[in-house]
Amino acid sequence: MALDADETAVREWATKEQLTMPVLIDKFHVIADLYGIVNVPAAIWIDENNKIVRPADSIPGSDMFRSFTNVDSEIHHNLLRKWVRSGERDLSDAAVRDFQVKPNQDTQFARLHRRIAIALRERNQDEDISASREHLTRAEALAPLDWTIRRGNMPLVGVDPFGDEFFKFVGEWSQAGRPGFKLGTGRVDK
Amino acid sequence: MTLGLIINRNGQTSGVEISQNFGEFSIAKSELEKFTGWQLKPQGLCIDEICVPVRDSSALTDGKNIDLVEFARLTNQNIVIDQQRKIAALGEHADSRNQSMATLDAPDFTLPDVHGRQVSFSDFNRRKRLLLAWSSW
Repeated sequence: MALDADETAVREWATKEQLTMPVLIDKFHVIADLYGIVNVPAAIWIDENNKIVRPADSIPGSDMFRSFTNVDSEIHHNLLRKWVRSGERDLSDAAVRDFQVKPNQDTQFARLHRRIAIALRERNQDEDISASREHLTRAEALAPLDWTIRRGNMPLVGVDPFGDEFFKFVGEWSQAGRPGFKLGTGRVDK
Repeated sequence: MTLGLIINRNGQTSGVEISQNFGEFSIAKSELEKFTGWQLKPQGLCIDEICVPVRDSSALTDGKNIDLVEFARLTNQNIVIDQQRKIAALGEHADSRNQSMATLDAPDFTLPDVHGRQVSFSDFNRRKRLLLAWSSW
């Protein structure tokens, strides 16, 4: 599920990588709301009975950003293999509930402002683009530590998501005690 | 009448005629169900088996139109209105989202795939599923 307002980027990547799994485009971050996702990449496990057996957690697909994240991606891969093959899971239901990232009203309103911003952006009139930015700013003020809002907004306003603004945000987020995904699967402390 | 836009809580958008003469952001009463899933019945505002009583309907409807702001207040949903650009976004209140998350039932959703086809999560029911959220940013 690509949390992405840029459908072309998603389509190009999915085609280039010849992905065999369903690739859906979630420009309004619907699943972020439904499943409590505050950053990407995130993984959630759902079993045969449609129950969430592992909540959203930051799960890199590879070790490409390991020096930045300190996450060994193989640890989640191994947990996942074990669950798929034997049904054995690493978390109880109580732990799943504990580790879910629960939204507050500010988060919920931030998500709605972001949706309005995306709808305005698609109309693509000059006046709508500036209005879109107003709603993105409102969203950021409401949820300043949510990566899907703060970092997700960056490409929409022409800011480099790996640039100075990003590192400023990471600083704020670290200062605030790194809120968000609490599980920290695969984190290897230095 | 002016043309406006509604983004419902499932992230589906629809163009809609906004009435200028009643409430903050009003749509035709007959269109409420189409846009929100809720219906105004004699017993109140209803969705599925649930009904919310409406004690004083004068702020909700003038008989022809429904004010979405009052509708959201009565049904405990969130709403953000951009009055100038005539856009309304409805969403889930944090309390009800927390309640639904605590059930651990995986909520269904329908989104377009890269070929523009609508795909539902429930299309893959009865098997283990790994939901991956990623992005180009």
